[in-house]
This record gives sequence, C-alpha cells and structure tokens, in this order.
Amino acid sequence: MEVDEPAPTSQQNGNPPSTSSAPPSIVICGGEENVMAPSSTVGSITVSLHPLVIMNISEHWTRTRAQNDGKQEQVIGAIIGQHKGRHLEIMNSFELVFQIVDDLIVIDRDYYRTKEEQFKQVFSEMDFLGWYTTGDIPTPSDIHVHKQITEIYESPVLLKLNPLVKNADLPIGVYESIIDIVNSETTMLFVQLPYVLATEEAERIGVDHVARMSAADNSETSLVAEHLLSQHSAIKMLHSRVKLILEYVKAAQRGDAPISHEALRHAYSLCHRLPALQPERFKNDFYQQCCDVSLITYLGMITKGCEEVHQFITRFNLLHEKHAVSRRMRVDPKRLRHEELFNKTRQKRQSEATTSKIPPRPSTPSSQDSGNGIE
Amino acid sequence: MASGGNGTGTAGGDSQATIAQRTWELSNNIETISAVDEIYHYDRQQQQDILTTKPWERDPHFFKDIKISALALLKMVMHSRSGGTLEVMGLLLGKVDGNSMIVMDSFALPVEGTETRVNAQAQAYEYMTAYIEAAKQVGRMENAIGWYHSHPGYGCWLSGIDVSTQLLNQSYQEPFVAIVVDPTRTISAGKVCLGAFRTYPKGYKPPSEEVSEYQTIPLNKIEDFGVHCKQYYSLDVTYFKSSLDRRLLDSLWNKYWVNTLSSTSLLTNAEYTTGQIFDLSEKLEQSENSLGRSGIIIGSDPHEKKGEDKLAKATKDSCKTTIEVIHGLMTQIIKSRLFNDVSCQNNRSPASEAIDVVMENPS
Repeated sequence: MEVDEPAPTSQQNGNPPSTSSAPPSIVICGGEENVMAPSSTVGSITVSLHPLVIMNISEHWTRTRAQNDGKQEQVIGAIIGQHKGRHLEIMNSFELVFQIVDDLIVIDRDYYRTKEEQFKQVFSEMDFLGWYTTGDIPTPSDIHVHKQITEIYESPVLLKLNPLVKNADLPIGVYESIIDIVNSETTMLFVQLPYVLATEEAERIGVDHVARMSAADNSETSLVAEHLLSQHSAIKMLHSRVKLILEYVKAAQRGDAPISHEALRHAYSLCHRLPALQPERFKNDFYQQCCDVSLITYLGMITKGCEEVHQFITRFNLLHEKHAVSRRMRVDPKRLRHEELFNKTRQKRQSEATTSKIPPRPSTPSSQDSGNGIE
Repeated sequence: MASGGNGTGTAGGDSQATIAQRTWELSNNIETISAVDEIYHYDRQQQQDILTTKPWERDPHFFKDIKISALALLKMVMHSRSGGTLEVMGLLLGKVDGNSMIVMDSFALPVEGTETRVNAQAQAYEYMTAYIEAAKQVGRMENAIGWYHSHPGYGCWLSGIDVSTQLLNQSYQEPFVAIVVDPTRTISAGKVCLGAFRTYPKGYKPPSEEVSEYQTIPLNKIEDFGVHCKQYYSLDVTYFKSSLDRRLLDSLWNKYWVNTLSSTSLLTNAEYTTGQIFDLSEKLEQSENSLGRSGIIIGSDPHEKKGEDKLAKATKDSCKTTIEVIHGLMTQIIKSRLFNDVSCQNNRSPASEAIDVVMENPS
C-alpha cells in the first residue's frame, strides 16, 4: 500500500516503521535520499528485542532533552546482546559519545572502548551487536555512522526509535546493512529486519509493574483482583484481535473488502488450531497439576485451622485459669467438681503419654491438640 | 493478518492521519518539557546546595520516601534475575529532592557472591568511579545515591552485613540508600518485590515502632533478620516514568499481552514453591517443639507467646504460598477454558464458516 503512494511527503512521515510484523512492505523508492534496499531484499537474520533496551533509549532521549531545556537532539548508543547463529538477541544498551564534525557525526572510539570494557566485566556473555539512534527512517547520516560502527564490528544492526510518533505500534525499526551496486557504485543500504519482543518472567513483571503503576493506587486492592486484572486485559487484547479478524472476514464475505487469500488462510488455520491441546497426556498432566495445587491449598487450610484451634484453646485456658483463681476465693462445690474432673483427665492423659513412649510432650490438653493437628 | 485487515480500512483516512500526526509533532516541538519530564533535569547548583547544608544530619529519619525511575527498576530487576541464586550488586545514581531521594538510573557492579561476600571490594570501587565518570560524559550528571543488591528467595530486608555496610556508607557517602530486590519472589508473587532502607545511626532508638508489612523469611535467615531489624527503617517507594516511556509502554503492551497470557507461574516457580513448603515444614516443626516445651511449664508466658507467634507466622507463610499457587492455577484454568474448551470441528464458529464460504467462491 505504501509503495503505491507517489507523494514523497508520505514517505517522509507517513507510517514510519509501523509494520514490524510485515517489515518488507515499507519501501521508499526513488530520490537521492534513499538508503533503503529494494523491497525484494529480505533480512538474513532475526532479532529479538528486550524491553529494557527500549526503556534505555527512551530514558536517554528524555534525559538529553531535559538537560537541554527541551531541545530535541539525536542520541546515539551501542546495543549489546547475544548472537546465536542467525538470531540476535538484543539485551542491553549503553550510551555513546559523539562529536559533530562538518555536520557529520563522529563516534568517540575511546569512549566506546572504556564502556565496552566496563560492560564486559558485568555482562560477560554479551557482545557488541550494533548501535541505536533516534529518528525516523534511516538517512544518509545514519549510513555514515554505520560505516564507523562496521570498523568495530563487521555486521552491526541499527535500531531506530522514533520518539515523536504517536501511534499504537511501537515506533521502532531494526535494520541491517547490505552492500549493493547502485548506479554501478558500491553503496551501503539498509534492510529492515523483522523483530519480536523477547522477554523473561522477571522482566515481564517489571514492565507490567511500571506500565500500570500510576493507573492503580496500590493501597487497598486485593491480590486476586490484581492478578485477574492483568489476565483480563490480556484476554481483552486477544478478543479485540479476534474481533478484527472476524470483521475483516465478514467484510470480505460481503464484498466490501478485497479478498486476501493469504489472510484468509491464516485466519482459517488459526480457527482450526483450537482446541490447542487435547491429548490424554495433557489432560493427565493438567489434572495432576490441579491436584498438586489442591494439596497445597489443603496444607494451607490445615495450618490455618491449627493456628485457629490453638488460639482458641489458649484463650480458653486463660479464661479457665482466671476462673480457677476466682473459684479458690469463694468455694463453689459445683465448680470444684468440674475442676476435679478436669484434673483427672489431665493426669490420665499424662500417664498415657508416658506409657506409650511418646516423648515428653504437651501435658495440657491445649498443646496436645494443636500438636496433633500439625502432624 | 491483523495488519492486512487493518490496512483495508485506513486507506481513506491515511492523509488525515498524516496531518494529525504532523500537527502533533509540531506542537510537540514547540512545547517545552512537560512537567512529568521535569524530574529528568539535573540542577547541579541545587544539588550542591543540598550537599553542603546536609539536612539529613539533624534528623536520622530525614528521608521519608524514594522515587525510582522505570529504567532503574527494570535494570535492577533484570540484573538480580541474571544472578540466579547468587547475590548480585550494583549502584544507584540519583539526586535528592526535599525529603525524598530520586533514583534515576542504576548499574551493575562486577561483584557477586553469597551473603557474606556481598560488599564492594577495591576493584569494585575502581569500577564505580570509572563508570560514573564515563556516564557524566553522556549527560548522566547524577552522582551515586545508593546501592542495591539481591536477596534471591528470602525477602527484602537488611542482613547484619548489609546493615554495617550501609552504616559505613551513610557516615561517609551521604546521602545514601540501600535497596534490596528479591527476583525469585518477584516472579512468584507476580509483582516487583523491592525494599529501600536507611539505617539509624549507632545508638539511636527509633521513636515509635513502625509496623512493617509482614514478610516470609526462611528459617536459616530469621535470626539474622531478627537481630538487626530495629537498626533501619524502610522508605516509601514510588516509581515514575517519562511521557515517552508512557507512550512506549502503552504500545509495548500491544505486543506484550501474548507473554502475559502464555506465562505459567506454576512451572517457573516449581522450585521456589517446593522450597517454601520445605521451609514451612521446618517452621511448623519448630513451633511444635516450642509449644511442647511451653506446655511443661504452664503459665510461663514468654515461651507460650513465642510458640504462638511462630505458629501464626508459619500460618501466614502457608497462606501466602497457597495464594500464589492458586493464582497460578487460575491462570491455567482460564487458558484451558479459552483455548481448549472451544473447538471449531464440532461446534463451528461463525467466523470459520464465513471463511469457508469466502474460500469456496472467491468471486
């Protein structure tokens, strides 16, 4: 769709990296400013991106802006992570220093080296992967920087974040460079790469936490509600996506929307994937998991029960002792008999305990009860 | 395929969207920094003034709360998680504003180890200075304002060694704060488990005993906790983020919901849950023993109290574990309902039927 637009303005600011799911669709044709490879070129690697990097760039940009009294400046930094085969995992980033010499950005190599050495000490498993900057689609100036980066690492990637886009999608593009011959000259061109968000449990919780911290006052919300809320919002998202598909299919059926066989095929296979898991083994495992949880719940309940019984008995005893004190003051024959009875049973229990070789244990009925309960 | 469906609708409104976006960008360019982002500005003069007046010297309870940036939080959580069962440590960069400390950023230090080894060594000090110096060159003007370390699996509190480290730092490096992160509990509870602490000077008696939130502490650490827990107080923790962060996080959620839905806390936490139950059994045994002892000497209140206390605490722990696993199971059941109890073979949904029709006659 974007390709068909002839107006150059739309290439400049229309739908910047809005389609990370279908990267090759954005192509800027013609013009001398073009640094993008033709759409037929497909990236050779896959990239997964950690949200920490995004937050890092965002903070770098915001900080620079706040420091410069609101003036917006391009920021540059390095991205590091792991490189496995044809897959890159971008895990962290750090800032870089650069000077502007004759309108061209020159990266401070010494600074990079000190920083890299510092990072190596802490995150030894991470390697230098490329660089990040802010702004819209890649420009010739980016190529210039990219060439400097290639002296450090031969096949770096570029991550571009556009802080000015107000869009539902993440304004991020990941690019790798290729050398191509344009007008019989070897030129460096960028190819957009598809990326996925990688995450780890702790990171997910952290992101969830910061994303929602201002929305809900954390004072008096129930734990269950909190937990269910995050599930709910996720399901709501799923629902909206499914609804979108349904609407498209309906529109296609009516003839309002052009029929895309690929989309329909995807939707169809999605429908047929349900139910997701049905084999016996899953059922068994699931059942077992439920049982495990029930068991833990049972354990919790028993412990709670014990505690309550114990508390009750302690209080009861306290009351009883008070009564006993007051009884001695004014002798009541009826109560005396009660006490006798109580003492007898206690003695009996004590003797039982010693005969059955149970280690000297609770002699009062109270502690014996709770002791048994715990077992 | 979602984008395919999306694209068809937006063809007409494209130019309109561009205009809207342009005006927004324009207004954004003119606009000075919004109030939210004001916090990212570093005023050297102001900070120097605060540093010279040293208001915290007069009042041991001077700092009441702490603000942590989203970035610092994420970095800390991820770094502690990467340490696994080892304790890791890092430094906080930030500034002071009135009674609150503001943590802007954090970075990891090349130290890790067990409980006893977590205190910065000479090599780490060197690293620290070099890092802060390097950070200044890229506009990170803040100085060190504290340190953080992780307590994987045993809660956020200061151990004896932590207290002495913090005490030392507070006498030479003021203003300084200690943050403890528990990555294991963060995952099991589904929310960030973090505490910020400052120690009282030696010999200081806190005026009123604050009732801090109860937290589970494993048996082998409980003594360490009990001995030192009166020597420090915790700060109220709040978090902040920039306007750009907010926008990015919102759009991040567009992709992130899949992860929320696909995570199973029951599996990731299996080891931790087992550990909790093991700990619980030990605690129950102890409380049983102490109950037994107190039974012999009837009426000796302190003993009785202690046993009762232990049982009550063990109960709280068991309740917590129970709640966590029930949460995990709830997630599982929701997913099973959502993805397993629906089938388009037996009970054809209108969507799949519609697709069938369209596929058959593509005219």
